Amino acid sequence: MTAIAPEATPERFVAAESSDGLWRRVVASRRVLLGGGVLLAILIACLASLPWTTRSGHPLYYDQQNPQQSLQSPRLNSVALWFGTDSLGHSLLGRSLLGGLISLSIGIGAAAIAVTLGVTVGVVAGYRGGWLDALLMRSVDVLYGLPYILLVILFKIALEGPLTNLFARMQWGSEHWYSATSAANLFVLFLAIGLVSWLTMARVIRGQVLSLRSQPFIEACRATGLKERRIFLRHLLPNLIGPIMVYATLTVPSAILQESFLSFLGVGIQPPLPTWGSLASEGMSKALNPIHARLWLLVVPCTFLAVTLLSLNFLGDGLRDVFDPKRDAAKI
Amino acid sequence: MLRLSLIPLGLLVLLAGAMFWSGGAVERRADFTFINRGENKTLDLGVMSWMQDIRLAYQLWEGLYTLDPKTLEPIPGVADRIELSADKTVYTFHIRPTARWSDGKPLTSGDFIFGWRRMLEQPGEYTYLFDYLKGARNYEDAYGKWKEALAAWDKAKRQGSKPIAPDFGQVGVEAPDRLTLRVTLEHPVAYFPSLCAYIPFFPQYEPCMKAFAQLDSTGTYIASYDQSFTRPPNLVSNGPYALKEWSFKRRVRLTASPHYWNAGAVQSRVIDQIYADDALAQFRMYEGGGVDWLADVDGDMAADLLDKGRKDLHLIPAFGTYFYDFNCNPTLPNGVKNPFADARVRRAFSMAIDKRPIVENVTRTGEPIATTYIPRGVFADYVSPPGIAYQPQEAARLLAEAGYRGGAGFPRVRILFNNDFTQHGEVAQVIRRQWQQTLGVVLDLEGVEIKVFGDRLHQHEFDVCRGSWYGDYDDPSTFTDVYKSTSDNNNPAWKNTAYDELLERAAVEPDQHKRLKILADAENLMLEDAPIVPLFQYVGRYLYRDNVQGIPLDARQMIMMQSVKVDRR
Amino acid sequence: MFRFLLWRLAQFPLILLIIYVITFLLAWVAPGTPFEQTDRKLNPVALEQLKQQFHAEHWYTFLAYYPVKMVGGDLGPSLVYKGWSVNDILFTSLPISVTLGLFAMAIALIAGSFVGTLAAVRRGGAFDYASLFAALVGISLPGFVVAGVLIVLFSDKLHWLPSAGWGTFRQMVLPAVALSLMPLAYIARLTRASMIDVLNADYVRTARAKGLAREAVIWRHAFRNAFLPVFSFLGPAAAATLTGSFVVEKVFNINGLGQHFVNSVLNRDQTLILGTVMVYSLFLLTFNLLVDIGYAFIDPRIDVTAKAM
Repeated sequence: MTAIAPEATPERFVAAESSDGLWRRVVASRRVLLGGGVLLAILIACLASLPWTTRSGHPLYYDQQNPQQSLQSPRLNSVALWFGTDSLGHSLLGRSLLGGLISLSIGIGAAAIAVTLGVTVGVVAGYRGGWLDALLMRSVDVLYGLPYILLVILFKIALEGPLTNLFARMQWGSEHWYSATSAANLFVLFLAIGLVSWLTMARVIRGQVLSLRSQPFIEACRATGLKERRIFLRHLLPNLIGPIMVYATLTVPSAILQESFLSFLGVGIQPPLPTWGSLASEGMSKALNPIHARLWLLVVPCTFLAVTLLSLNFLGDGLRDVFDPKRDAAKI
Repeated sequence: MLRLSLIPLGLLVLLAGAMFWSGGAVERRADFTFINRGENKTLDLGVMSWMQDIRLAYQLWEGLYTLDPKTLEPIPGVADRIELSADKTVYTFHIRPTARWSDGKPLTSGDFIFGWRRMLEQPGEYTYLFDYLKGARNYEDAYGKWKEALAAWDKAKRQGSKPIAPDFGQVGVEAPDRLTLRVTLEHPVAYFPSLCAYIPFFPQYEPCMKAFAQLDSTGTYIASYDQSFTRPPNLVSNGPYALKEWSFKRRVRLTASPHYWNAGAVQSRVIDQIYADDALAQFRMYEGGGVDWLADVDGDMAADLLDKGRKDLHLIPAFGTYFYDFNCNPTLPNGVKNPFADARVRRAFSMAIDKRPIVENVTRTGEPIATTYIPRGVFADYVSPPGIAYQPQEAARLLAEAGYRGGAGFPRVRILFNNDFTQHGEVAQVIRRQWQQTLGVVLDLEGVEIKVFGDRLHQHEFDVCRGSWYGDYDDPSTFTDVYKSTSDNNNPAWKNTAYDELLERAAVEPDQHKRLKILADAENLMLEDAPIVPLFQYVGRYLYRDNVQGIPLDARQMIMMQSVKVDRR
Repeated sequence: MFRFLLWRLAQFPLILLIIYVITFLLAWVAPGTPFEQTDRKLNPVALEQLKQQFHAEHWYTFLAYYPVKMVGGDLGPSLVYKGWSVNDILFTSLPISVTLGLFAMAIALIAGSFVGTLAAVRRGGAFDYASLFAALVGISLPGFVVAGVLIVLFSDKLHWLPSAGWGTFRQMVLPAVALSLMPLAYIARLTRASMIDVLNADYVRTARAKGLAREAVIWRHAFRNAFLPVFSFLGPAAAATLTGSFVVEKVFNINGLGQHFVNSVLNRDQTLILGTVMVYSLFLLTFNLLVDIGYAFIDPRIDVTAKAM
């Protein structure tokens, strides 16, 4: 839920290395394997079930309402009932599978925006230095001071209406083959969450660039008269891949959590589309109600959510070790 | 190490200080504690319109008529003798000499004139109710025009003569002496006592408001009052209770007013309204015994309590309807030709809704399925029209007749709803699915926050949207007036001259029986033309234990707390 | 040191101004005019007057007018809660949030550094893994779920603590715990990592070689240095606890500042939005300054006056 990340120690990331050694360490890292494996399994399950969860009429269809099966507890006699149903009789399994895909895409989309913005700002600030660096970094400081919750909501609210109209206008042909509201809704979620998540990334990358810039091999490139662009693309960027991957991996879980918070406020994903966060917040009042606790409504989406975020955190931490061998000693 | 241990120590000192700063003293427990519906918006009678505020207003003020604590029928309030002229247009109210404001000053007829005049000069939500007073409508219009003229005169550097304010004498309300109020109506109004028992007709106390008046730019008239006059100790009222404390979003405390004319009859001396936002938190506070009455139990919670057969849950079919509005303008907000401008399409969409899953799976507290806009049975002698029933085949046929066979060529419309309650989204999902299956049309859902929702409703920026209406006073016109062509709350922008004419006729019809018949005809006309689809009648959900007495189970969901008694033994 | 303080204080107004402009513009662009009521129409004359009162005929007049008022200590009336000034609202809610935040921070700091140290000392042991797992689960669940589960567990089932309200110490415990979990997890991880670094350092080995007791070395010598990175985390943690308290406030029915971050935006209560953000930013700036001073205090070697990265 919070945008806080442990202090970055960018200077420690390895400067340059053969990809062979890197791979060996990836394979050797138990955490990378475990985190990545679980994540991959969830992703495959969500993707492979897509033909059913999006086919109207199938019991696992995400909007397959069934008034006769309202609020059924989990049972094994039919796949759709494995994880129980909600009040409209939707299969919670079907909704969790599609919801996972949406949650993950929001996480990845937001992380992609955060990476793009953060890397751009970080590289420009670190590489150009001088007044531009000072200006950019002071702005990052200021933005750190802004209450980001308020920013996410404001971005979401300010952008959603115009985007919906834009998407509606972009429809071509007589058939309206996609939903402008859902498209705008998803897009604005990426954007809003991404726009507030790039700050840490910018700081880390800037630090990394600063330390790289002063290293002899970059100096040497300069001295041989290589073009700035070439230095940047061929020598600088490859050395930034490590921290970028680590922080991108760690941004995904925080973006997913932020979406769940927005759903809790009622400004997250638009029904009938589900996300894990929206399933959890919808299930809250029925699951934790002291009169009749329907625990499955909370346990199912939260288990998916927790397992995924755990593996993402594992993966991120593991990657950090892979790229930063000295940290091995301090394995968390 | 010493230095390091100072950090947690410093933190603890800060914490202790902050606790002292934020903590509150423990006080006497109130005689009756309740959680109202939502947070209070205002305690200014001039602008009040929310149910939670109106509930408090009934404890703080009393009108010429008041509500019977048991039946909620209008009975004489601060007026003990009321004379009605033979042609039933002139009421003469004699105010009780014992009636007093909470600061001990006597209540006079002038206080009523002040309040009513303010309603006309600073028009609010309920100003239209004063239209029945002779000359009131004219005065309101003239006064509004005068304000504009004055502003124009001011802008033109005050050239020429200053516009002169219209004369209030033309309005049919006068005070022959301090305790007599004479009211002249345009025509007989059978439910005028009900109106007099309603908040806009309550007296207002000028001395407590004077200091908060805000003048217009020319300094000629009072444009508005700074709302801080509604906060204790500023607010002075004339009802059974006085406002003792109003802590922001925490608590409102009312104490029995010693100057109330019937102070002896007041059962609970101290009343607390506690604020709690979260449904589960509300319920836990009630279960813990800290709250005697939950006035608006969360729907899901109530459904489970009902399942468990809890005796302390009380369900009341309410004075309100949940429905969907169709935009009736010729074009949709995005400029496309509006299919809903065709009544056949609206009828088809109405017929295609099976309302059972909505009340059985979503709301789940026994809401009566509605086919009418005015809830059935809440007005005595009012015979409701049948409305449109669920007929899926007929719906598909009608849609084909309108040129959209099987939904072909139908634009992709959106259902708009406010997303502060999950149930609105669930209802929308059910309806979307049914329309998709029965009519073959593809729709989107658009949940927005309440603020955006309100704005878009008023500007008719929606295709289909959820709506609801709660009646205010005891007459069907409190519902039917909403869909007049000129009404501000006519969200579908539905205009029907036949409907308007029927309402005009009903307004002047002296015979109550005939009047109700005309209103029923009007409702029938509207339902058949289907600018709205009624879905279900709201159910009021109260939670209180056996030891609480005096809470009326009435559709209007009002309460007179002076008769409420909690047995704490 | 004194010059450093002055320099930092001199920056405050500029930073606050930038934050103000950003918030203002975003809030103004959002659809839903702040001057209309949610469900009922305001008549045009009254609307015009209301706008005049706020100097809001144009966005730039409002933008320029409001800070002037704010410097005078008056945050203006709330646009939604009629009759309440932003000052009133913040004055009732700020103390509560500050108490809650400090309480949560105290728990996070004390418990977090303790758990982190212990995990570092028993590296690879059961406690290490258990605490790691607990910390990760704690930060992998949405805050509203954690808060809800705490209530069900400690209030509904065990009846140890009350589930709602504010005022007594017992009422403060559960919300503070719920709010502390996230920073606690981070602090535990940070402490553990830096503790392991420190334990491998030469001076610790020397101390042990001198024959000092293991416990003494850990808590007297190593902890102090291991704590430094944790300390610099306090700034962001404070920000997170102050704003993050919305969920906790809602679930535990506490009338604090966090609710206004969300509700004022949803209500388009322009003055309350700006008031809340400005007060929050001021708080945060001050707190960060205190953290920097405290930093120099516990470790005199650190020169805070040097430009940070």
